[in-house]
Amino acid sequence: MLAFTLALLYPLVGLGAPVGSWQWDGSIPGSTASAVRTSLLLTALAILIDILLGTPVAWYLSHPRGRDKVIWEAAVLISVLMPPLALGILLSLAFGPQTALGGWLLRIGVPTSNSPTAFVATQVYVSIGYYILAARAALAAVPRDLERVASLLGSPPLEVFRRITFPLAKLGLAAALSLAWVRALGEFGAVIVTAYYPAGMPVQIWVNLQDAGMPAVMPLLVVFLLTALPLPWLIHLIAQRRSSNA
Amino acid sequence: MLDAHIVKARRAFTIDVRIQLQPGERLGLFGASGAGKSTILSCLAGIENPDGGEIFFRDRCLFPASLPLYQRPLAYLTQSDWLFPHLSVAENVCFGIKNHARDGAKEWIEELAKRLDLISLWNESARQISGGQARRVALARMLARRPQLVLLDEPFTAIDRPTMNDLIAALLEWQAALGFTLIAVDHRAEILEKLCTRIAAIESGRIVQEGSWSALAAAPATPPLARLLASK
Repeated sequence: MLAFTLALLYPLVGLGAPVGSWQWDGSIPGSTASAVRTSLLLTALAILIDILLGTPVAWYLSHPRGRDKVIWEAAVLISVLMPPLALGILLSLAFGPQTALGGWLLRIGVPTSNSPTAFVATQVYVSIGYYILAARAALAAVPRDLERVASLLGSPPLEVFRRITFPLAKLGLAAALSLAWVRALGEFGAVIVTAYYPAGMPVQIWVNLQDAGMPAVMPLLVVFLLTALPLPWLIHLIAQRRSSNA
Repeated sequence: MLDAHIVKARRAFTIDVRIQLQPGERLGLFGASGAGKSTILSCLAGIENPDGGEIFFRDRCLFPASLPLYQRPLAYLTQSDWLFPHLSVAENVCFGIKNHARDGAKEWIEELAKRLDLISLWNESARQISGGQARRVALARMLARRPQLVLLDEPFTAIDRPTMNDLIAALLEWQAALGFTLIAVDHRAEILEKLCTRIAAIESGRIVQEGSWSALAAAPATPPLARLLASK
């Protein structure tokens, strides 16, 4: 087990590799700070959209109903299984200014390529499926009988969700959120096609690598890891502690 | 008044029963396991929808056009307590009481807590209490809203006899005080005997005989019912 863990963590040794003195701004001054800001702000917005759109869908899928559920689940799975680069190309073809929808959005002032809107929309597309699948599992783990009892005690559906379903599923929902966060923040293949500008961290790391080499990549790489890893790690630790206390 | 005609197809037979109860009446559904008793209760509660028939309670239509669970003026207690594990005993008991009604219900809640020995557990987590205590909490939670119709589906299965007798006594006291209509299902005849004044014997989804215990015992309508009564 120790050997496996060491092998698993071995890539982190790369952070100490002798690549020369770290260059904080790549080839463009201010690009690192701008990439961090872009990634954090726009990913937060994408995750908010994931929560608002994905939670009701996950709730619907978590409750046994008709056969139509299979179709909706398949649709969610397709978004998860889609290769990122293919998704990026399809998004740019489907939402590009040459399409009716893309043209209309451009006319009302919403550019669908190389814009914050394109960045957020791409992140939502790549992450919402993961959020829904994980959130569905968390919500499905709440016994239906508890929800029924709450209903019979006079609570309408939204109140049942607020007072019973959500508190009992919140750790699982947080895990779903952290999964979506990592997926969105780390997205490169789709984002580089749809939103080369404004550059988030993954695109900026790639640009720095191309333009200035490893010394310009390392600082942003560290920031990238520090912003992506702590949230899911923390949630994993809390979940472990809860399950050992239960 | 409860006026229910319930039609519900099961794998082996179709349940087809009519139940009419005056306010404050106590009816026991008695029959062999798998006769359809719990399904009838489940349809009355709204957990399952009947395939046909109609259910009226106090001039309110519960079915068809199934009334949502949260609008049904009834309480339903099953074998499992289904306490909310993330809440305290107090929060469980008061769950069904709306905020604006909390002050008005204070005395009633105190009475329930005192009679059911919940005072010392009041702030405990529902996860921490024993099975017998959980049953008391479930009973208090069910009665806290002063329901007009109480449905009991084998609620005393997993508890010891002294606790069972105590809970039945408490239930009867409150039934007399609140005047709720009661329907109970149990495989143990002694429980229905204590709880109910009228018995409906169910076989394969049909009521085969209805009356007092003594009437049923004196002249059971069918051989299976005679055998069941003899074995009680």
